[in-house]
Amino acid sequence: MMLEKYAQIIGEDELDSIIKIAEKLKGLSILHVNSTPAGGGVAEILSKLVPLMNELGIKTHWKVIRGDQAFFNVTKSFHNLLQNGKGQLPEGAFETYKKWQEINGNELDLDYDIVFIHDPQPAGLIEFRKKAGSKWIWRCHIDISNPHEQVWNFLKGYISKYDSMIISSPVFGRSDLNIPQFVIPPSIDPLSVKNRDIPDITVYRILNKFDVDPDRPIITQISRFDRFKDPVGVIQTYKLVKRHVDVQLVYLGSPASDDPEGEIVYKETVEAAGNDKDIKLLMLPPNSDLEVNVFQRSASVVLQKSIKEGFGLTVSEALWKRRPVIGGNTGGIPLQIIPGITGYLVDTVEEAAHYTLFLLRHKEIADRLGKNGREHVRNNFLITRELRDYLMAAYLTLYPSSNILS
Amino acid sequence: MTYSEVIERPAKEHFRFYAAYYLPVFAGIRAYTIDELIEGINKADGLSIFYHVFHPMFSSHVVPEDLHNDFAVWIKNELHLDELAYRVSDISAEEPRTVEDVRRDLINILSKESYDVKAKRPFNFMTCKPVVYDLGKEASNFAELLDQIASITFRSIAYHFVFKRVMGYAPKNDFSLWIERNYSEFSDISKKLSLLDPQTYTEEEKLREDLLTILKEVFK
Repeated sequence: MMLEKYAQIIGEDELDSIIKIAEKLKGLSILHVNSTPAGGGVAEILSKLVPLMNELGIKTHWKVIRGDQAFFNVTKSFHNLLQNGKGQLPEGAFETYKKWQEINGNELDLDYDIVFIHDPQPAGLIEFRKKAGSKWIWRCHIDISNPHEQVWNFLKGYISKYDSMIISSPVFGRSDLNIPQFVIPPSIDPLSVKNRDIPDITVYRILNKFDVDPDRPIITQISRFDRFKDPVGVIQTYKLVKRHVDVQLVYLGSPASDDPEGEIVYKETVEAAGNDKDIKLLMLPPNSDLEVNVFQRSASVVLQKSIKEGFGLTVSEALWKRRPVIGGNTGGIPLQIIPGITGYLVDTVEEAAHYTLFLLRHKEIADRLGKNGREHVRNNFLITRELRDYLMAAYLTLYPSSNILS
Repeated sequence: MTYSEVIERPAKEHFRFYAAYYLPVFAGIRAYTIDELIEGINKADGLSIFYHVFHPMFSSHVVPEDLHNDFAVWIKNELHLDELAYRVSDISAEEPRTVEDVRRDLINILSKESYDVKAKRPFNFMTCKPVVYDLGKEASNFAELLDQIASITFRSIAYHFVFKRVMGYAPKNDFSLWIERNYSEFSDISKKLSLLDPQTYTEEEKLREDLLTILKEVFK
């Protein structure tokens, strides 16, 4: 059983608790619906959660909605408008959205006991709930704390019809909704290529391949070339640190086809880097999990210097590898970085440089933060915890007034 | 009767072990100032007080080592009112106090003075929904209770020793109640258990250790 492999990491007690909670849902059917079968965090987590739920004896299916280019342009604009509060709404957006909800609502079999709808793209399917007594849960993976008003009001019309919803952080909670808002942070899979232990020879080979010196300290940031990730700030941080320590910087990002600004930001970053050979700006394909693993675990300090962030799971990925992380005080980062315990939260380049230098000079403190970080992730950000939370959310939505002492 | 005979004497009733997880739920309340915090504490349900004051005893709920609850952490980190944070951190929650007593104390402490500061980041009130499950384990005598407390998941200890009592489902912790009903000769131990204040623990294994230190007194 796949689940048993996690027992070595989380302990028998934790695994037993998942099995006990799953027993409360045995015999029920669960459906997950999202908008893409592969690529992106939602598909990644569903590809793990669905088999695990089935392994627990809960009949669980995963279905993907379809749509044309116009529909996905609309949902992409929804995504940006909800996360950033501003942007351009395509003409006829709401009509296009409704049309594809209707097509999918009529095509898909949605007759399950519990239906998890992921993100805004399929949220309108709630209008096609047929099965009496079925419970629908909207799982929101994005930051909806400061949304574009018109888009949010449109979406809210659907969301308020759900039985409950799930957000990733209390920061994203809405005070204008009356349904329960469970707080379930995302998670990492410790057994995945991106996160599992790898042999030293692989680490050495990949560092060598990208001309990174394993004998000198490395600062790493893994994120897209996006202004919200502050790549130029990362370069400036490195330059301040470089005055004191002979350090290298690896900034690893992937091209995002849906992000027209990516190319511009990449150019800005290249310009900020100048001709410093110790700065490696790597643009690798989206599935470069092994490289991510290597550059995270080889780093003396990992940065996630975001100015705005959804959850920032790269922080947990680095902490799991016992690396101290310096991160922007935004989105879900403060849930992962406990100042002075697992890393440091910063608002400026100067602060980031200060703490990077501090950790490079105090290896024993960096080691302690890394060790604490590993335990923090083990307790809070592994996939088994997310699995358990989903089961609890399903149970509590089915039986909202169940006797808690039962 | 020797002590070893007493602790292995069958109890009249078995102690059945349960455990619980507490799924966090956004409570829909945010506070940027002390006045708003007071208003939120007034409005929040009992499980919200439990979540912010007692849930930090779990190692999964991280608070700095020198502060015992979420309110204190926010007051120190966001409002920089250190003295007030320490007072809020050290509120009493020993038996027979419940979340309602804690709520009253918090409001009293926060209302004593007026504070003219506003946080950049709000306090997000959470509540929680417990999911209780049967561990399928029992203690049929005192010795087995001791063994179970030494080895069982901490979630079970928290459920029996803290949750039921502070939420008002039981007048005192389950271990003391069971000892009193089945081993009246150990009433002193039962009383000592009742004196432990779980609000002051932020390390789950430390609380387990202190419970065991008291229970071990049967051998004296």
